[in-house]
Amino acid sequence: MGGEETESGYPIHTHDVIIIGAGLTGLRAAIETVDAGLDTAVISKVHPLRSHSVAAQGGMNAALGNAQAGDSWEDHAFDTVKGSDYLADQDAVELMCKNAPGAVIELEHFGTVFSRLEDGKIAQRPFGGGMFPRTCYAADRTGHNILHTLYEQLMGRELEQSKESKGSKGSEGSKGRKRGGRITFYEEFFVTSLIKSGISSGEKGPAKGERCVGCTCINLADRTLHGFSCRALLLATGGFGRLFTRSTNALINTGDGASLALRAGVPLKDMEFVQFHPTTLYGTNILITEGARGEGGYLLNNKNERFMKAYVPKSMELAPRDIVARSIQQEIDEGRGFDNKYVLLDLRHLGKDKILERLPGIRLISVDFAGVDPVEEPIPVQPGQHYSMGGISVGNDLATELSGLYAAGECSCVSVHGANRLGGNSLLETVVFGKLAGQGIGKNLTSSGSGGRVGEEDKKAVLERLSEEAERVKALLTRDSGVKMAGLRDELKKLMFECFGVFREGKKMEEGLEKLLELKSRYPEVYIDNKSTVFNQALIYALELRGLFDIAEAVARGAIARNESRGSHARTDYPDRDDENFLAHTIYRLEDRGAEGKAKGITEGKPEGKPGIKPEGKPVLEYLPVRLGKFPVKERVY
Amino acid sequence: MKLKVFRYDGESGESRYDSFEIESGPGMTVLSALFKVQDELDDSLAFRYSCRGAVCGSCGMLINKVPRLACRTQAESLLKGEGQVKLRPFPGMEETADWDPETEVLVEPLPNLAKIKDLIVDMDKFFEFYRAVEPTFKPASETPEKERLMDHEAVSELEKYTNCVLCASCVGSCPISGREEEFLGPAALAKLYRFHIDPREADDDSRLLLANSKSGWWGCEFNANCKAVCPKGVPPILGIGKARREIQKLGKEPK
Repeated sequence: MGGEETESGYPIHTHDVIIIGAGLTGLRAAIETVDAGLDTAVISKVHPLRSHSVAAQGGMNAALGNAQAGDSWEDHAFDTVKGSDYLADQDAVELMCKNAPGAVIELEHFGTVFSRLEDGKIAQRPFGGGMFPRTCYAADRTGHNILHTLYEQLMGRELEQSKESKGSKGSEGSKGRKRGGRITFYEEFFVTSLIKSGISSGEKGPAKGERCVGCTCINLADRTLHGFSCRALLLATGGFGRLFTRSTNALINTGDGASLALRAGVPLKDMEFVQFHPTTLYGTNILITEGARGEGGYLLNNKNERFMKAYVPKSMELAPRDIVARSIQQEIDEGRGFDNKYVLLDLRHLGKDKILERLPGIRLISVDFAGVDPVEEPIPVQPGQHYSMGGISVGNDLATELSGLYAAGECSCVSVHGANRLGGNSLLETVVFGKLAGQGIGKNLTSSGSGGRVGEEDKKAVLERLSEEAERVKALLTRDSGVKMAGLRDELKKLMFECFGVFREGKKMEEGLEKLLELKSRYPEVYIDNKSTVFNQALIYALELRGLFDIAEAVARGAIARNESRGSHARTDYPDRDDENFLAHTIYRLEDRGAEGKAKGITEGKPEGKPGIKPEGKPVLEYLPVRLGKFPVKERVY
Repeated sequence: MKLKVFRYDGESGESRYDSFEIESGPGMTVLSALFKVQDELDDSLAFRYSCRGAVCGSCGMLINKVPRLACRTQAESLLKGEGQVKLRPFPGMEETADWDPETEVLVEPLPNLAKIKDLIVDMDKFFEFYRAVEPTFKPASETPEKERLMDHEAVSELEKYTNCVLCASCVGSCPISGREEEFLGPAALAKLYRFHIDPREADDDSRLLLANSKSGWWGCEFNANCKAVCPKGVPPILGIGKARREIQKLGKEPK
């Protein structure tokens, strides 16, 4: 990767738009900015097709009414709001659900091979918490099919742009596309920081006049530091499942974007709301799609009972995820599981043909990873972290508090999922809000006089940050003894699952936070043996770990302060929802400590003044009212 | 168990095999064994990973001389001699490494792609061939308001090919890919065939003719390694055969 060489020795790349993350959100946004005629760069720490979106199984909700007539976006919105335990912002939910049918149809037009009904229309299956079968799917490989389709669309645009630059005529582009749009992928580039330019007030939040003007990256292939400057930057980095020992998430899901934003002064929202998926494969915690229950699968305890009837007799296995996860955990905790670790998901009664047609991937996963063929035997399952409802705080326009910085998809919190996401709504969120983010950025940058240009001031900011980041990386690489990365990371993950898991309790969480801060205080001593310049993964893990600590603290502080149970946040010491005090979004930010850089208050005891380590902001919690709408807040019964 | 791993340093060009003693247990995959090495024994070992659930295609490597996804390969079953795959000879298979299959698992980078570091290979050429087949849906008709209708059979036929995760295991085991620099290889050809049979695309020969040469459909010698090693059951060889027959029917095979 070339880029403009500067006298500093660092390559600097300039693009109109930088998108960090190449999953469904990032790629969908890129299609939009390229079509708006903008020079777009997509940066990802893996090849785009290795993004975690590829693992999404069950499907995408849209009120197409194909499988059952009568469905409407309003019904979808109601299900979503109720599923969220009324914490979702209803105007955002409306935006998502209204756009859903169009989003699915558009993917079909892009070439996605969806499963079909007898009449040839896109098939839909029931999912938890939905009153209609509205989850559109491509067998149980929906994410895989859509991610490949979006990447293929960008490949088409790349080909057109190379034809254009060779001057060949006849590549007018398709309808609605402006010429001049470009796409460049920076694969296996790890982003280490966001860069701001303009005046900082030193007070809470980004100051007026301050803008996000780029980022710094490490190229994994050769460990070189690169600077990027841009006019708009979109974070689309996905979730942070790897903060927990048990997670369905890909190993790359370390929540990098949330940490980058937080450190740029941008707040996170509702971070305590972490979804635990009811059915993850015992042993590896690979996802067993909700679609397996949607197709009719049973959950059984060690007494061979469909125990869900004791918890939600009406919805049974198709209650929303938070409820099913808690029911399973309770069965296990009360000794009705197997080996005190798992329950069974029985698909046998569906028959071989249906399993092979609708759930072929699940069958393979069970055979490959648990040695169980679901045609013959039930699948051992247990709850595991799956999704984060919280994320970088954005409005319906996907803009953050910091001018020029946007976030969408799982790394963001709009909020459409509130306290609990419904299955099938996350794929939907990625494409709907990815597209809207791309459109919003396009509009801002192409309308005259707004959006700004990359100026000298901005380039200076990039150079300054590059030398700071070089210092930080150097400090990490020159340390030869101290704390081992892997041990510290594993302790953190274990702690988070134990203290901030399916069920939570005040005292245990307080102790958890104390331990967490103690672990965090050891981070500056982390060392790695690997000093290589080529694919130094140890270095990347160590950098990721700093971000994990940022997120862990946000989750912990949000969870401790929320003295109620709502959606995925289940407090045994506060079992009821408390609308009077907590029908509100949690806002978590790091307040700038100003010039003196003294650690005060909650994070006291952190080593200061080490090379490459800057004083860190003081964590602050605030609350933001939920935007209610047509659906009045009610008790949530299924 | 012992994990015998190929080590390669691109800067010096030196290579060697390292043996790591690992406590294995039921359910331990080759990928988790590699992570154990990184975490506990040698953090300089390099390999690609992401989903660890056999859907992202990152961790294709040569395991006991067969290209496989490390995440989906159980170490213990290899030691028990299970999961053997009979393959026609291809370059990486013939390179001899001294290894005892009863006590050791041999892990090497995918053959037929340039080595970068340890188990990491250069995928640029692989994706260059992927791009060469223009893998973008080209609908035949004007965009309708709703979805284009498709029947079940068409979808199941397409799924065989859309299931490809682009892990390059097929290319790694293809004798022709190992021999002919310009051969598009089984993955790219399977992708091309997927678009050719998509009933929503034009029912013509444009996709077929895109690879109507010795570096395309006609380069294949039907060794069938591609189908045998594919972790997702994709049969590139079948698509290639069908494409050839269609071209022959049209009388358009290259001279």
